[in-house]
Amino acid sequence: MKKNRRTIQIIILLGVVLLGGYAIGNALFSSNDSLPQKGDTPPDFALLGLDGKTHRLADYKGKALIINFWGTFCPGCVYETPDLQRQYAKHKDKPFEIVGINLGEDEFTVNNFVKQYDVSYTILFDNNRNVERKYGLRSYPTTFFVRPDGTIMDIFVGPMTEKDIDERVTELLQS
Amino acid sequence: MLSFQNTKCECGHQNPIGTVLCENCGKPLEEAEEAGKDTPLEMRYDGIARRSQKSNPGIIDRVWNFFSSVKIAVRLIVITLLAAIVGTIFTQENAFVSFDPSTYYEEKYGWIGKVYYELGLSNTYESWWFIGLLVMIGTSLVICSLDRVLPLYRALSKQQVRKHGEFLSRQKTVYTADIKGDEAAWIGGLAEQLKRKRYRVKTDGTALLAEKNRFSRWGPYINHIGLIIFLLAVLLRSIPGWSMDNYISVPEGEVVQIPDTSYYLKNEKFTVDYYTDEELPEGLKGTARAKLYETKAVLYECTANCDDPSVQPELEEVKRHNIIVNDPLSYKGLKAYQFGFDDTPRLKAVNPVLIDKESGKTYGPFELDMRNPKLIYTLGDYTLELRQKYMDFTLDSSGNPTTKSREPNAPAFIFLLKGADLPAEGVPYMYFPKQNDKERFSQDTINGETGKRFEIKVPSMEGVAFTGAITSLNVRTDYAMPYIWVGAGIFMFGVLIGTYWQHRRIWLRIDEGRLLLGAHTNKNNYGMRADVASALRGIGIDIEPKSLDNGGNKS
Amino acid sequence: MSLLDFSSDAFLVAFFLYCFGFLFYAVAVAGRNWSNRKPEDHLRRWGRIAFIVSVLGFAAHLTFFITRWIGGGHIPTSNMYEFMMFLAMAIMFAFVVVYAIYRKPLLGMFTLPLTVIIVAYASVFPQEVQPLIPALNSYWLRIHVTTAALGEAFFAVGFAAGLMYLLRTVDFKKTDAQSRRDQRWVEFTLYVIVIIVAFIGTVFAFRGVDYKASFIQEIVSIDSKGIESTTTETVEYSMPPIFKPYNSQNIEVQSFLGMKEPLFETPSWMHGVNAARKLNTIVWSILTGSILYGILRLALRRRLGAAINPLMDGIDEEDLDEISYRAIAIGYPIFTLGALIFAMIWAYIAWSRFWGWDPKEVWALITWLYYTAYLHLRLSRGWHGKKSAWLAVIGFVVVMFTLIGVNLVLVGLHSYAGV
Repeated sequence: MKKNRRTIQIIILLGVVLLGGYAIGNALFSSNDSLPQKGDTPPDFALLGLDGKTHRLADYKGKALIINFWGTFCPGCVYETPDLQRQYAKHKDKPFEIVGINLGEDEFTVNNFVKQYDVSYTILFDNNRNVERKYGLRSYPTTFFVRPDGTIMDIFVGPMTEKDIDERVTELLQS
Repeated sequence: MLSFQNTKCECGHQNPIGTVLCENCGKPLEEAEEAGKDTPLEMRYDGIARRSQKSNPGIIDRVWNFFSSVKIAVRLIVITLLAAIVGTIFTQENAFVSFDPSTYYEEKYGWIGKVYYELGLSNTYESWWFIGLLVMIGTSLVICSLDRVLPLYRALSKQQVRKHGEFLSRQKTVYTADIKGDEAAWIGGLAEQLKRKRYRVKTDGTALLAEKNRFSRWGPYINHIGLIIFLLAVLLRSIPGWSMDNYISVPEGEVVQIPDTSYYLKNEKFTVDYYTDEELPEGLKGTARAKLYETKAVLYECTANCDDPSVQPELEEVKRHNIIVNDPLSYKGLKAYQFGFDDTPRLKAVNPVLIDKESGKTYGPFELDMRNPKLIYTLGDYTLELRQKYMDFTLDSSGNPTTKSREPNAPAFIFLLKGADLPAEGVPYMYFPKQNDKERFSQDTINGETGKRFEIKVPSMEGVAFTGAITSLNVRTDYAMPYIWVGAGIFMFGVLIGTYWQHRRIWLRIDEGRLLLGAHTNKNNYGMRADVASALRGIGIDIEPKSLDNGGNKS
Repeated sequence: MSLLDFSSDAFLVAFFLYCFGFLFYAVAVAGRNWSNRKPEDHLRRWGRIAFIVSVLGFAAHLTFFITRWIGGGHIPTSNMYEFMMFLAMAIMFAFVVVYAIYRKPLLGMFTLPLTVIIVAYASVFPQEVQPLIPALNSYWLRIHVTTAALGEAFFAVGFAAGLMYLLRTVDFKKTDAQSRRDQRWVEFTLYVIVIIVAFIGTVFAFRGVDYKASFIQEIVSIDSKGIESTTTETVEYSMPPIFKPYNSQNIEVQSFLGMKEPLFETPSWMHGVNAARKLNTIVWSILTGSILYGILRLALRRRLGAAINPLMDGIDEEDLDEISYRAIAIGYPIFTLGALIFAMIWAYIAWSRFWGWDPKEVWALITWLYYTAYLHLRLSRGWHGKKSAWLAVIGFVVVMFTLIGVNLVLVGLHSYAGV
């Protein structure tokens, strides 16, 4: 009887610690819902590219990756595009990719822009803007730097200078 | 109470430590009794020893004792209450869709808003400490109940009919009298009256125990179980996959995938009705007051090619429903709620013609789609090649044309006009489909000489197509909901039987012609006294219920 | 005559019957010592008359409710006026139920004035029938609102009995520290009630003379980019402006007792919705309330509590304690069901989530937690008598804040209009 009581007490307190710990831990660590944070794995996507093929996040596994959300209507995006292109050209032979996800514009507009700025990295269409939402964008441009191991190294909100990009790419390639 | 004490009652029963009233005969145990001799007994939990009270508490016992105390439970409730109040002082972060909380609170409310934000109070209800409070309340619910319900169950299931005299005389409802005549017959008569009042009566010689509504004693424990289920169900919702909360915007006539699912939803038609002026009272006439919005929705499930945007997915219709506010589409746990709408007209396509003002000839019309225009239009002697397009035309800081947004608010197109009588490389022509943009950006000046000869324009309003209204839907799954309702239901059931019924007991014993009657209820002594008085009246003893009051008729 | 006009007439009848009911209760209690009958007979006789009149008032109120329902096409609980009217009706219902259990006529002496005050307060709000917006068009809403109001009505009866208990038991002759503290707080409670009465009186007095003042207010706001923008807004007052809106110009200020100009300007940091008008109203209410209180004090030549206390002689205080507790115990399950469970069901259907931490929801939860604590304190910690009565009184303040305060002070989804 006495033994029994002690066992029940321990079981219940253990249950409380586990469930309560889970609940409190949940509140502590996922403060910003499920939006991606530094150190997380970015949300998966499967998007149509300018080349007419389907591109998935998984395709870039093992490579340093920049995911850049942009649109022609966003002056900051237009501003940083040449710098991104230069970085892309510079590290072309390394395991490094840039993916520019367009924010729901049409093919003609995107094509025109790509031609105008000589962009050679991958451009994807996020037609119904689901990926944008999944990545929790609040303003444009927003750029995610993803390490080869698939974790987010940094999230940059707003237009980047060439120096901003260069520093981060160097760090990405070292990791 | 932690010191050694003799818990053996004079009736010979050995009681556990912490017992207030002997489990067997009900005699108050001297050492445990702190109050005076004449006051009504403390009948909480029938005077049993609660489980937690032990003479030598270790760390587990201490934690256990902490949570088993009602005093602590009430403190937790009050702290939670105060925390909840604090959370309503300023609008919480979750009330906004998109804003920057780090500056908002300071700008809106000044330094006090800044402090509020920095203390994390702008997210009170999701904060670890608030959740922690709820966890502690949950723990207290489990331990408090467990600690009391089992001993109480034992005490109530083996009740002595003949109780100690002091136990009876110190109840809150007491009656004493001298009985003349046959004691057994007297008891039999009263038992009859009590049975008529739906008491279950047990007799033991010249002693009687009548009891009813014992189930109501379980009410509090049942409602605590309900609350625990409720809290666990809420916790369940935070496990990934148990709940989903998405917003989708679907323009009329289009099909949109519901993110993270294999479902697609089509908005066949969106309608919004406003109240007419006749239906509105004086003060509101002329205002647009929505009466009904409705989305005729079709839900499809994707059967193949679901995850590849380069091929068309194969869709199969699974459900059709007219979604209105308060009436969502519901399919296998997935619910789509009417959330909002946007019915500002957006240009979809125009059908302009090309006019040669010199010859007076018209070419066309041709269809110019705003979003996905064709690149070349052949119009008789001339061709138009689309070179550039802006959805929301503006000039940037250095004077170059650009677009402000992706919505066709001020569309602009640059064509290259080619023809036999024009230069081989063609002449540029800029076209603003909207009349006001045409004037605002002075289309004619831009086009210069070309504009003097040629004009692209829509001949009539029939040549203009608008996209339908966009409906926004909130799509959710919440697999924990049934458990939430079950928890709430059990809670309600427990509260109802605990408050609307009362456990009532009447003991009496006759010792040498002297009747001693004591009655106890956990709630509503008023009703208890009325019961006793009416039973006594039934056997010819007229007595004012109030006179049965032994003082201190609390709770 | 349309059904809605008939409905308004029925309400007027109800209002006057309630007033008379209260009057008869007062006669029953106050008159028992100077009538030539035996005090008990007098009390019983007039108590019965008062009760019958109150029940007739309730019947008229019910007529008002039903005809307005039919005339308006939807259950009249969708704006502040209708809701408060319903609450008052529910309080009368709760009173009748509690009366049926305890048969204590004096309970009416406190419940009826409470009903009258709430009904009068309801009349401050716009009274026309408004067509429903889609979100409110659900039968769950009707069930939720009516059940919650009924639960709150029982809390109101618990409050009335609790206040009676305090007025009965606090000894206004004693001068020890504890008694003086009790006297002060009871007096303060009465003072607050006088202010509420004065607020209603003031609103109707100025409405009666059709008082108007209006201002044009410049509101400077700085957006997130740091750009200043100025908007102007016309602010209408229906009471003479003691406080004018911050940064505003007079358009029209009718003179009142020679007061032609606003006396003060609302401080700049008060910038809630209609903050200036609310401040002005509150200042007026406190002003007229204090004057009214002063007149009463002068007329009675003692504190209000001390004046009421002797009227309560002979009432069993233990019964009052029990009535207060029982009313709350009856109301608690109804309130839980209406204000939390039905609310969750409706919120789940209408807004797709069963709980969203909207201020109104939180305050319903706070009310619930409060009464949960009350029940635990009473049942498990033995808080009876005075402590319990104070809890019942404070509890009703919490209820009223949930019903009115949240709409006036906080913002949220519950869209009833405020003053």
